[in-house]
Amino acid sequence: MANNDIIAKIQSGGPGELAMIYEEYRNEFLHWIRKEYGCSEDDSKDIYQVTILVFYENIRCGKLENLVSSVKTYLFGIGKNIVRDTMRKSTRHIAIDQERWLKEYLIDDPEESTPERIYTAARNALERLGKPCRKLVELFYYERKSMDEIVVALNYKNADTAKNQKCKCMKRLRKLCEEEMKRTAITI
Amino acid sequence: MNTEYDSELVERYFDNELSAVETRSVIERLQTDREFKALFDQEKALIRSIRAAGLQKDLLHLKEVEKNLQKSLGERRSRLSGIQPWYYAIAAAIALFVVATIWFIPGRETPEELFQSYFVPVGNVFEATTRGSVEATERSAAFQAYDQGNYQVAAEAFNTLLSQEKEPAVLLLNANANLALGNAGTARENLIILIRDFDDFDMAAKWYLGLCYLKEGDIEQARSVLEELGGAEVFYTSKAKELLKKVK
Repeated sequence: MANNDIIAKIQSGGPGELAMIYEEYRNEFLHWIRKEYGCSEDDSKDIYQVTILVFYENIRCGKLENLVSSVKTYLFGIGKNIVRDTMRKSTRHIAIDQERWLKEYLIDDPEESTPERIYTAARNALERLGKPCRKLVELFYYERKSMDEIVVALNYKNADTAKNQKCKCMKRLRKLCEEEMKRTAITI
Repeated sequence: MNTEYDSELVERYFDNELSAVETRSVIERLQTDREFKALFDQEKALIRSIRAAGLQKDLLHLKEVEKNLQKSLGERRSRLSGIQPWYYAIAAAIALFVVATIWFIPGRETPEELFQSYFVPVGNVFEATTRGSVEATERSAAFQAYDQGNYQVAAEAFNTLLSQEKEPAVLLLNANANLALGNAGTARENLIILIRDFDDFDMAAKWYLGLCYLKEGDIEQARSVLEELGGAEVFYTSKAKELLKKVK
């Protein structure tokens, strides 16, 4: 399978593919990062988990359309950047705060971050959204699946039906978010 | 302000569905219209929260995978630590004999020896199992038996599951359980179905299919599958290339 086929496979894959990649490069990566940077076993695993998520995210968001090197080289490159970034912020330990790292590098807009109070309301609103709607918006905004792929995944009649349903779900989510903001007496 | 219209406009902006003119209009309004800017920030926060929830879910999934890997590694170690010391002496003597044989007669590793050197059952990263669960279903019992290295029980249970529905993960694990038991023929059949009928675990299936052929002594077929894997820059490539060199 060529590099581009790997990308296509990851784009269409689910948790099974994520697990296979994780397992495939795990030992080499952990060995390398511990030897190269003296990371502890637990820190190495935390860094590897973030590395795999960054790799997936880069493919999903279209930053990585063609792999010029092997998957291994690419993963090691991401790992190196994470370690260097973490070392810049802390000279004593190479421990990574996974959630903070993912938030700052994969979720936030580097040019303009969303006010935390609105984000908290949005997070609470998502918690209250029904499961089918949540699955649908996750497939679209997180996994970046096309409407045709969502039709197959969630068994909709066609792409138009799926799109209409996605719009209804977002409308419902906006309403819940407004309720959350009112509930906490926050006005935007 | 037409909120319904603006909400739709903002949604379409984030979905990259606006024309250049509409996009310009959105950007201009963000500078001048505070209510519109609030609507825009809310939409951005909602999309951020959806993505954060997805990442969190995947991170938890990877942690679960790691936990299962640790568990199977720990079980292998504890199985090894249960071996009597005199076994080690015999094992060391056998190892010395094997090393000496390979050293003095290069290129004489048989397909069976190569199979034994390279076959490691694939880890169950598909379904978490909990030991001692009172409500263990047939399905969870199958995965649990596999995790514990009880391949006979696992293979029988996987066969039952496969008679109801063919599932990629079950096919792959059943093939591995059968390979561990020495039933290369059954393992091969499972892997061929997996490769032919599903898109999942293609590379893993081919790697184990190559090992099936080795186990059966079919060097030509093993070489053909391994060459296919070795030519790909993907999972199992390095192992396939290494093994291919040894397959005469």
